[in-house]
Amino acid sequence: MVEDNMPDKKTVLICCGTGCLANNSYEIYRELKKRVEAAGEDISVKPVLKTTGCNGLCEKGPVITILPEDIFYCKVKISDVDEIFEKTLLKGEIIERLLYLDIKTGKKVKSHKESEFFKRQKKIALRNIGQIDPANIEDYIQRGGYRALKKALFEMSPDEIINEVEKSGLRGRGGAGFPTGYKWKQAKKINSFPKYVICNGDEGDPGAFMDRSVMEGDPHSIIEGMIIGAYAVGAQKGFVYIRDEYALAVKNVSRAIKDAYGRGFLGENILGSGFNLDIEIVRGGGAFVCGESTALMASIEGRVGEPRVKYIRSTEKGLWGQPTVLNNVETWANVPVIVDRGAKWFSSIGTEKSKGTKVFSLVGKVNNTGLIEVPMGVTLREIIFDIGGGIPGGKKFKAVQTGGPSGGCIPESLLDLPVDFDSLDKAGSMMGSGGMIVMDESNCMVEVARYYLKFLSEESCGKCTPCREGIRRMLEILEDICAGKGREEDIKLLLELAETVREASLCGLGKTAPNPVLTTIKYFKDEYLAHIKEKRCPAGVCKELTSYRINQELCKRCGVCAKKCPAGAIFSKPKSPYVIDNNKCIVCGACREACRFNAIEVMGRREG
Amino acid sequence: MKIKIDGLECEANYGEYILEVAKRNGIHIPTLCHTDALPGQGSCRLCIVEVIEGGKNKVVVSCLYPVTNEIEVLTNSDKIRRMRKNIIRLLAARAPESEHIRKLKEEYKVPEEKRFNVDKGEKCILCGLCVRACEAVGVYAISSVNRGITKKISPPFEEPPEDCIGCGACAQVCPTGAIALKEFEGKRVIWDKTFELVKCSVCGNYFTTREQYEFLKQKYGLEAEEFLCDKCRKKSTAQKLVF
Repeated sequence: MVEDNMPDKKTVLICCGTGCLANNSYEIYRELKKRVEAAGEDISVKPVLKTTGCNGLCEKGPVITILPEDIFYCKVKISDVDEIFEKTLLKGEIIERLLYLDIKTGKKVKSHKESEFFKRQKKIALRNIGQIDPANIEDYIQRGGYRALKKALFEMSPDEIINEVEKSGLRGRGGAGFPTGYKWKQAKKINSFPKYVICNGDEGDPGAFMDRSVMEGDPHSIIEGMIIGAYAVGAQKGFVYIRDEYALAVKNVSRAIKDAYGRGFLGENILGSGFNLDIEIVRGGGAFVCGESTALMASIEGRVGEPRVKYIRSTEKGLWGQPTVLNNVETWANVPVIVDRGAKWFSSIGTEKSKGTKVFSLVGKVNNTGLIEVPMGVTLREIIFDIGGGIPGGKKFKAVQTGGPSGGCIPESLLDLPVDFDSLDKAGSMMGSGGMIVMDESNCMVEVARYYLKFLSEESCGKCTPCREGIRRMLEILEDICAGKGREEDIKLLLELAETVREASLCGLGKTAPNPVLTTIKYFKDEYLAHIKEKRCPAGVCKELTSYRINQELCKRCGVCAKKCPAGAIFSKPKSPYVIDNNKCIVCGACREACRFNAIEVMGRREG
Repeated sequence: MKIKIDGLECEANYGEYILEVAKRNGIHIPTLCHTDALPGQGSCRLCIVEVIEGGKNKVVVSCLYPVTNEIEVLTNSDKIRRMRKNIIRLLAARAPESEHIRKLKEEYKVPEEKRFNVDKGEKCILCGLCVRACEAVGVYAISSVNRGITKKISPPFEEPPEDCIGCGACAQVCPTGAIALKEFEGKRVIWDKTFELVKCSVCGNYFTTREQYEFLKQKYGLEAEEFLCDKCRKKSTAQKLVF
């Protein structure tokens, strides 16, 4: 089920994940289809064209895979369609120009499987994405889909399923890493009906698109997981909560639910087993906090999306006060594979306490921006430098922020940290749902903390005091520090407020909100001190604390900086190096970006 | 079952909240968003306590933490006092005009605020009790609006609320006196809406708004023809029972 089944027939897979779509991949599909249809009987083997979900290598999109030869083309344009048709499809020739260039080896690779980006990945949750047409249930079934459901319904008892999931060591992929099997067991134990299953697709972290890609690219894997889960705990009603901004996810999951009903996988007496389940979609309004399980349930119930305390768990009293199992998209997508291939196989992947794989959206200052799935326990260094291909522009790595806006920033010294729930926790960050934002030397870590706190201050539901008021005041201090108005005692006050926000907040949002501040203070305290004491932003980001100077020895008098300067602040006298007029400079950094000789130096606050 | 609160052994029922047990045993835990009529908000976080269970300490809100084990509770540990002081400091910066918050600030020796930009003229701490009171009455005239730092309590569209019956339950339940209720010349003004007050036909005192009287009559199917205030109604009922 996880390995690729190579089709014998010639097949062209055109990635139509959101990233590729934005770069006209659907038009490429249409053009290619036109060419194939126009050729009619003239071609001996008529290729099958398929639009698939996100392939992962978003940076190089639109991407196209041609099977069975497994030729992988990147950055395809509409103007390339004719050539692909004529050369590759008709004659089997490879177009060198469109092949993927491996940054590490400097070589072009024919098949995506040969690239460092794909080679080190292991796909379980993403097993079908990029391989199937998400709108076609047959594609899913052909790759082993719904086989696990049959096994669960006819060969296993609910307790056996729960045992299997528990033994697999699967932990919730939504962030907290709660053991899934244990959660199911608790819900099954309670003798109160109706019970509910919920899929949490309210992904709201800036820069994260793991769940979206699964919902868009392989919706049946989630539905199959939910049916198995519902059968195991005794639920007859399920909800898929998707934020409404994810239009394609809503469309593809809706279609999949409809098709699943059509094939008897949903509805009454599923496959003749006597088990009934209905699933419907609830579209969320886009509040970040609605990703919190109890807020999400409040939102489904039609109330304001505010969390409640969880001293009594949702498995006992969840949706409408009834036992409810809520799992994240990726968690559900893992379930069919565990049932199909067994707990032993699944638990052989990963680390002692974090089993299986994890999907990450790798973004920021990294060459291969995209969607990846790796076994738990790989190091951050492998993810960022081997799979991600390192930092663009020859810049120096500074930090990686994991776990969404309330995750922490991990410095270079911890790059060899294995990525699993517990190690990330220990480093002051968290797994979260799998966002991974890479930062380089041009990022100011105080500004990064400020950015995330601003996000959280707006996205806190505002119900409890520590979160609403605490984040707001921490933000106030960080804004002051970035504006050069920081005070010596600010770091101490930030730490004190962080404790109260972390310990006394009602839900996970507040409890983790101080992480960006705590980790940046822990690992980048010198940057805070430079801002507060020296009134200088070392990265040259905080405008109030930055001025530029042209190093007179490094300046080659090329004049590019002066041309790029939008404020006309750079000038030179004949035969002498360029200089910046600080009174005119707007500290936009365009000169620094443009200079090829690193002659623009970042200085502290301008005088006067 | 037996639990220990600040060293004192207390009897507790399974599932009972720590706050209730503490109260019964004369142990004071400060609260803002809690009233006996509308318990279980858990929003102000002032009633945080430390619970020691299985050798581990955790911070919980006593108004909602159910006793299910023989736990030990610390209502006033250094950590709790430090955090409670911080919460009061945060509330004082938000609602500096509230007399009640000012008193808490003195009690917890929170110094004058020098670091934060204190909100001007604010009394509301957004605890949400008023919204719950309105829901409990069955009117739903006010609600929390927005989220995060822009959250506020408001009637729809910030206009005088159509559904409001002027009962004043919201103002009554507000712990910080943030909801203005004014009465003069037989009128009551709340949420910028003016209500006519009605007089008790026996004692002649103004006692409710016409809208509230009608609302209650309808809700409870009262046949009452004349306006009777609580006191006079009780008297009249008692008389009917005696004779």
